[in-house]
Amino acid sequence: MSKNLYTPKTPKLLFSLFALILFFTLETLYIFSSKSLDDKTLEKREEFVSIVALPDLAISTEATFIRHRSMSDIFSIYKDDGSLREYFVSTYTYSHSHIQKADKSAK
Amino acid sequence: MRNKINFYLIEYAINAILRQKYKNIFIATTLTFLIFLLTSIFFITNSIKYELNATVDALPEIVVQKIKAGRHYDIDVHATEEILAITGVVDAVARVWGYYYFENAGVNFSIVGVDEFEAQYKESLKRVVGTTGLMDAQGSAMVVGSGVKETMQNNYYKDYFNFIKPDGTLKRVDIVGAFDGDTQLESNDMIVMSKADVREIFDMRESKATDIVVKVSNPDEVVTIASKIKLIFPDSRIITKNDLKISYQNIFDYKSGIFLALFVVSLFTFFIIIYDKASGLSSEEKREIGILKAIGWRVDDVLKEKFYEGFIISFFSYMMGVIAAVGFVYIFQAPLLQNIFTGYSQLKTSFELPFIFDVQTLFLVFFLSVPIYIAATIIPSWKIATLDADEVIR
Repeated sequence: MSKNLYTPKTPKLLFSLFALILFFTLETLYIFSSKSLDDKTLEKREEFVSIVALPDLAISTEATFIRHRSMSDIFSIYKDDGSLREYFVSTYTYSHSHIQKADKSAK
Repeated sequence: MRNKINFYLIEYAINAILRQKYKNIFIATTLTFLIFLLTSIFFITNSIKYELNATVDALPEIVVQKIKAGRHYDIDVHATEEILAITGVVDAVARVWGYYYFENAGVNFSIVGVDEFEAQYKESLKRVVGTTGLMDAQGSAMVVGSGVKETMQNNYYKDYFNFIKPDGTLKRVDIVGAFDGDTQLESNDMIVMSKADVREIFDMRESKATDIVVKVSNPDEVVTIASKIKLIFPDSRIITKNDLKISYQNIFDYKSGIFLALFVVSLFTFFIIIYDKASGLSSEEKREIGILKAIGWRVDDVLKEKFYEGFIISFFSYMMGVIAAVGFVYIFQAPLLQNIFTGYSQLKTSFELPFIFDVQTLFLVFFLSVPIYIAATIIPSWKIATLDADEVIR
């Protein structure tokens, strides 16, 4: 106790450090319980993937380099190369729908 | 252990930080922001990777495509028979699928055809269709992903959709169900209907298919079977599951690599500024160290005090940055940052990523930030602290 007489701010600092770590732990636990993949969801996803048998996620749907990399489409500026290996720019740059662009500029 | 940590030094360090409140708040904010950005990107990348790898085993082992003039071309359905004759092949199915571009909304739908009469598909579909369930439809029917459903509804197609065939006529298909929200990351842009309907929409003949998927029971035989198929059909492109895994890895290494390269530059710049600030210690700070030495502080006392100063600022920034990143990515679905991964997509997913506790990332970011910051503050102080006190004060 006598120590704190001369160091009044140190306990506060240690307390706030501890609080930060505790908050991080609680946040992680909360997200872990609510956002992690449970078996049921995983089963559904596997079932879906086995039905359609297409790879990749529906995250980037306008570009071949993310969605279903096995088919060229009319939106890529460059076509995928035959061996499916990424190489600079070809699969990183892609064009979106020009019709959409025209619509936007019209607005 | 208790006498190892000198609380008076910590107290002094806190007061030293508070004396230069605004400078230190600025440094802590910048460092927090940098750590937050880097951690967020790593979290997003790792979650997407985890999601992909979780479902990759459900994919067929081999996909066979026909390449003509360097481009993908429709393959003959009868090729499946020849592939089935290869030893080790369990199943070979000709698939019909493709993209349908819906001009009104400027989006691509992915349409996949399944064999309607196969009972197993009906059962499987029931399991992945949302709460509404599969309704029995007369004539053409389809099950759509949530993104597709939303887009159609925004364009006043609630119960059915009119596909425009290549010859300009319309094909009406009823919506009989939507995929479960749990599968959104995979099913957002999907439409599943019977093969016959897909053929009609894409104007494909019965004898043609988009590609052929091959199931192989023994994973060790995949490479051999792939080379055999290549021998039978020299004009084909064979994609194995392993190729897909490699390409996933490539995408993420590339995307997070670009980000990391940009980030390292900014991090480096930040530490140069810190180092510069600290090595150009203001005369006041130099005098402070000089006086401390004059009243009997040893060099290691000064360095310890500076270490505590650096540690308090950098560890606080690290914790705040990581806490903010976890909340930003998993609770708010990473607005703005997700665009690095989604790009131009008009058909946005909710981006609800699965959470994995990624110790590696946390350690990586920790060692990129905390020790380097501490070093950037200690080194200039050490230079001053090793000088004689009177020399410094003068």
